[in-house]
Formats: sequence, C-alpha cells, structure tokens
Amino acid sequence: MKKLLISLSLSVSAIASSAVADEVTDFRDGFLKGEVTWSDVETRAKSEGEVNLYYWGGSDPINIWMDQVVTPALAELGVKFNPVRITGTKDAVDLVLAEKGAGKGLGEGSVDAIWLNGENFATLKRQDALFGAFADKMPNSQFIEWNPEDPRSLLNLRDFGVETNAAEVPWSGEQYVCAVNTSRVDKGNVPGTFAELKTYLEANPGKFTYVKPPHYLGNTFVQAAIYAHNPDGTGGEPFQNSIDELGVEELARLITPGLEYLKSLEPLLLGAQSGSARYPEDNTALDGLFLNGEIDFSCKFGLYAVAVGLSNGTYPEGAEAFVFPEGNMIKNKNYLAIPANAPNPAAALVLANYMTSVDSQVTKLKFTGMPAGVDPWKLSEDDVKALTEASPGLVGVTQAELDANTAPDTNATLVDVIEATWLEYIERDSSDQIETIVQRAADNLSK
Amino acid sequence: MWIQLMPVLVVLSVLFGGALVLGVMQSLGFAPWFGVNTFPDFQYFGALWGDWFFWQSLGLTLYYALVSTFLSLVMGVLLALALVRYFPGKTFYKYLYKLPLMIPYTVGIALAVIMMGNSGMISRLMAFVGLIDDPSQFPQILKTHYGWGIIAVYVWKQTPFVALTVYAVLLGVGRETEEAAAILGANKWQIFFQVTFPQILPGIVSSTLIIFAFNIGAFEAPFILGGGFPDTLPVVAWRYFNDADYTLQLQGMATVVSIALIAGVILYSYLSFYRRYERRIGRH
Repeated sequence: MKKLLISLSLSVSAIASSAVADEVTDFRDGFLKGEVTWSDVETRAKSEGEVNLYYWGGSDPINIWMDQVVTPALAELGVKFNPVRITGTKDAVDLVLAEKGAGKGLGEGSVDAIWLNGENFATLKRQDALFGAFADKMPNSQFIEWNPEDPRSLLNLRDFGVETNAAEVPWSGEQYVCAVNTSRVDKGNVPGTFAELKTYLEANPGKFTYVKPPHYLGNTFVQAAIYAHNPDGTGGEPFQNSIDELGVEELARLITPGLEYLKSLEPLLLGAQSGSARYPEDNTALDGLFLNGEIDFSCKFGLYAVAVGLSNGTYPEGAEAFVFPEGNMIKNKNYLAIPANAPNPAAALVLANYMTSVDSQVTKLKFTGMPAGVDPWKLSEDDVKALTEASPGLVGVTQAELDANTAPDTNATLVDVIEATWLEYIERDSSDQIETIVQRAADNLSK
Repeated sequence: MWIQLMPVLVVLSVLFGGALVLGVMQSLGFAPWFGVNTFPDFQYFGALWGDWFFWQSLGLTLYYALVSTFLSLVMGVLLALALVRYFPGKTFYKYLYKLPLMIPYTVGIALAVIMMGNSGMISRLMAFVGLIDDPSQFPQILKTHYGWGIIAVYVWKQTPFVALTVYAVLLGVGRETEEAAAILGANKWQIFFQVTFPQILPGIVSSTLIIFAFNIGAFEAPFILGGGFPDTLPVVAWRYFNDADYTLQLQGMATVVSIALIAGVILYSYLSFYRRYERRIGRH
C-alpha cells in the first residue's frame, strides 16, 4: 500500500513537470547568476500578468494600504496585484509545502510571495522551498546593508539567528515595546525591570498579562524575560547560536532563571486571583484588554504602536510607551520571501523590488505605522527626511532610549524548544525539572 | 435506483471516505510530504492517550457537549409542546423562535462576546451606571472553564432546532391520542410521559444525535469563549496543526481521529440503546 501510494504520487509529479517548467527554471537560474537584466525581468513580469502576495490580513490599515497604494503601483508596471489575506502566515507556508509535496515546481504553485519571518522562514528553508538568493540582486537592493563587516547588517543577514542567504528581502523593522496606561499608573510606578514589574503586580494583582506562546508576541516576551535573567549576565548573546551549537544542557541552564521568574509571575497575572491566569490568544485580544483597562501594561511589537493605536482608538487615552525591560527590548525585521514554486517568479521579483522602494516604504509607514525595512544610512538625505516626516512619532520614549536598550532575537531553533518548555513548565504546570523538559522538547523536535 | 444513489455515494466515498482514510493513515505516521513515514506507528496515539491533559480535555469536551445538548433538549421540547397549543401572537412567535437557526454560530459567538464579555455592553453599562468602578471588575462569564458562554451559544442556537424537529413530529401525530388519554382520566404528567413522550421520541433522538455530534467536534465556540488550558479536544487539535513544528501535525491528526472515535462510540451506543427500547415497546 505504502509503495503504491508513493509510486502514484511520483507518477503524478512526473506528469506535472512539463516543458513549461524547464523554461521557467532557466529564467530563475539566469536571474540568480546575474545573466538576466532587470528590464528582462520587467518584460517577463508583464507577460506573467499577475502576482499573488500571501500575508496576514488582520490589520485594516495594512489591507487598505495594499488595496489603495500597491495595487495601482503594480498596475502601472503591467502586473495585476492579488493580495491574499490569511489569518496566519503558516497557512501560506503549509500551502507551499503541500503543493511542493504534490510535485508542483516553479511556475506551477499558487504563492508568489509571503510576508514572514522567524520560524516560518526557517521552515521553508529547511524544506528547501525557497526561490533562491534574489534579495541582493534587485535595483532597490542598494537600500539595504549587505556588507557582513558592518555590524548593522545583522538583521538583514540573519532572521531569528537563521541565515537569510538573501532568500528573503527585509520589508519592515520592528521592536518589542511595552505601553503603559498613564491614567491608571503613576509615573513613578512604571517598571523598568522584571523585578519592578513583579513588585507592581504584588501591589496591583491581575493588572498584567502577555500573549500566550506559541504566538510570536508571547514567545518574544518569554525571550526577553530569559535574556534579563541570563545567569551569566550576557543577555541575548548566547541565544544567537543554534541548538546544536549551544547544546541542550547549556540551553536549559541559561533559561532556567527566566522560566522560574515567569512561573512565579503567573499567580499575579490577569484572572489568576479567581481561578487560572488568562493569556490572550493574539494581538487583537491583547489590545482589547489594554483598551478596557483590564491590564495596565501591554507588550507587543510596534515601534509606533502607541501613536497608531491612539489615532485609531485601539489604545486607551493616556497610553505611552516606556523602556521595558531595560537593555532587552528585542528588535527584529520581517521580510518578503519568494517560494520555490512561485507561479509568477518575475512578477514576484517586481513586487519585491517595489516593496523595497523608498516610495512604498514611505507610504507604508504613513498608512500603517510600520517602520521602514530599508536601512536609513543607505538612503539619500531627502529620502530619510521623507521617512521621518511619514512617521507617526514616538510617544513617551525617544529613539535614543530605544536604540540604547536593543537586544537581538532568539535563534529560530531555540524558539521551538523554549516555547515547548513554556507550554510544559508554565501552562501544563509540569513538576519535572526544566532540564528534563528541555531535553524532551529538543528530542521531540529533532525527530 | 443505483443511478439515483450515485451522486451521494461518490461524494461520500471519495471526499469523506478518502479524507478519513488519509486522516487515519496520517495519525499512524504516514506523512511523506513532511519527510515522516513510519506507518504503521502507534506512538502518536500512545503519546496523546498517555498524557493526563488529554483526559482532562476529553472531560471538558464531554461536559460542554452533554450539558448544552441536555439543556437544548429540555427547552426545545417545552417550546414544541407550547407551539402546538393556541396562544395569542402565535404566528409571530413561530417565526421569532426560528431566528437563531438562520444566524451562523460565529455571529452567535460574536453576540456573546459583545454582550457578556468584560469589555461587553453589559459590563460597560454597569460601569456607566456606577454599579462597578470600571469594566474590568465585571464578573468573568466568558473564558472560564465553566463554559457559560459556550453553553449559552449552543443552547441559543440548538433549542429551536430541537423544537422544530419535535414540533414536526407532534403535528404529524395529532392530538387525538392525548385527548383520548385525558378522557380516560390521565393527569398531565401521565399524558406527557406515557402518551406524548414515546410518540416524539424519534424526533428527540434524531435531533440530539445531530446536535451532540456537532457539539463534541465544534471548534470556534470553545476556542473564542473557552478558558484556555486545558482546552477542548478540537482546540487541542487546532493548536497542534497551527504549531510551526510540522511533526506535531501528526499528533494533531491523532487527536482528530480520537475525537471521531469517541464521538462514534458514544453515538453508536446511544442509537443501539434506543433501538433496544423501540423493540421492547413493540416498534421497530
């Protein structure tokens, strides 16, 4: 039976890969080798005619920007833009892998580009489902720092510690920022460290919670707590290595104090006084709790989240960003990737190039409050000025404070283990030693 | 005859049967598209059933399903009994009670969130009037493991369904037997339990089968209105499917197959119990 099914799927894929596929792989190989000029790409994109971008569609401002700005801009380039709004980025990754499993190669799938980062990119890379190193070969690649000798290039070369190999292009850069409702909390009581947060919650139990891991907003809060409690005092530094480089025992030793802190925090979280602690499922649920005054602090990715939230009414009046946790405000970028079985690869390249242009970065910032993904020191003075003017502005913190407290993201291979450990140790309240749990999680993941 | 059956047979065997076979095979370790193929392999069921949280989740799933099925049954039968009688405004009421049937579950869930949530209308109104200082002090109704929100949505949606089924049966039966029993001196309770109830039992069984099967496998209401960990089994399955780690999808498939197995066993026993009863009272 097993053999029959395998041979069946093989024969299906053999039929599917026709002569058309050869022509399209020639184009890919030519482009990746630098033999195809950009005007050839644009001509080919026009004949392909359309491009399907799969992205998380849960934000109205982003959807409006896509429809009102990106659609007409691509129409001018002769490409029909199809924004496909999905509830989770993983849906698009699933689709790419399912189609790849069914034998659909380049030119035959349904996803041209995905907005993603972290684990989703790591999955596509692991499954060898990416188009290739395109991101440094477009005209607008000049706005991105690719020189590995410049330390500022780290976020372009590594996504959650995983090497991007230019298989995805930076689209936006974000920082994990917490906001406080100043109409409920006195300035003097705003915590700057995890210990101060706990002191505040002991006096005001239930007035804080964080998004439930494995949602990335929750994972990031857990990572920040782990960095701050790193027993060696080296913050996020050791977490840049993969699980194989670091070793399971070392990882367990490094994360134990952070997880113990989170466990001791649980009885002080929202809802814990009348039963069990409540962790919101996503961004929207978290915003709802904050707006409604159920929690006093709200932590999520969003450099300009406060200004945007105040202007569209999703944040309570009196909301202000603050520096928390000192020295460990995680910063990362998010990217656009082209999958290996993109149906319209040239149009996907044209889209990626447009998304990296200063023009689109400026309107994106203006419409959605998403910070630029291109690097300001690579831009002309006028372009930098345009970006600054488009910014909704910071509330309560200065850019210098944010820059002074930056921390890098955690390696994607560690994120899986840490989230599994959180689920086991905190959510399921396991009585096992953290080291045992980490070992088990790592074993499960390497299966 | 076969030609008439063909369309349904094809849909059932290809779409449903094919998915079932693939689901069972995946739960037993067949997923070459993720690079996993250890078929047949019972470790996913072993890991699932060997963990205490699975049994906790199962208990919670059954609790929500049974309580809401029972409440809908009682209220639906009462409603149907009322509807066969005459009362002023009956025509209007006959349309009104069917309203929830036409509204999707998701809308019902949204209504529950808007009305009963801590950021909902009732809590805002109470804060506005000054009964509570701010909306966060409103007692927690949704998102607890008592599942008031989930049960409320199910009962709201399923009571009319039970009523509709039982009402149709009641109309078909007519009121003659009840009247005969009344003339022979039976009181209200005797009439209901010895005359009406056996007559409407087929309607009760078929409607409760359908709503119970839905309740045990439904995902949205426990996901949005549930109390977090431990989750009901369909939510557990969703969490596995939604994890960035692909090997967990097989675990998720094992969860789905477990739900199907448990629901199947319960529904089959219920039905065979009912058949035995039918035979005993001389119907078949």
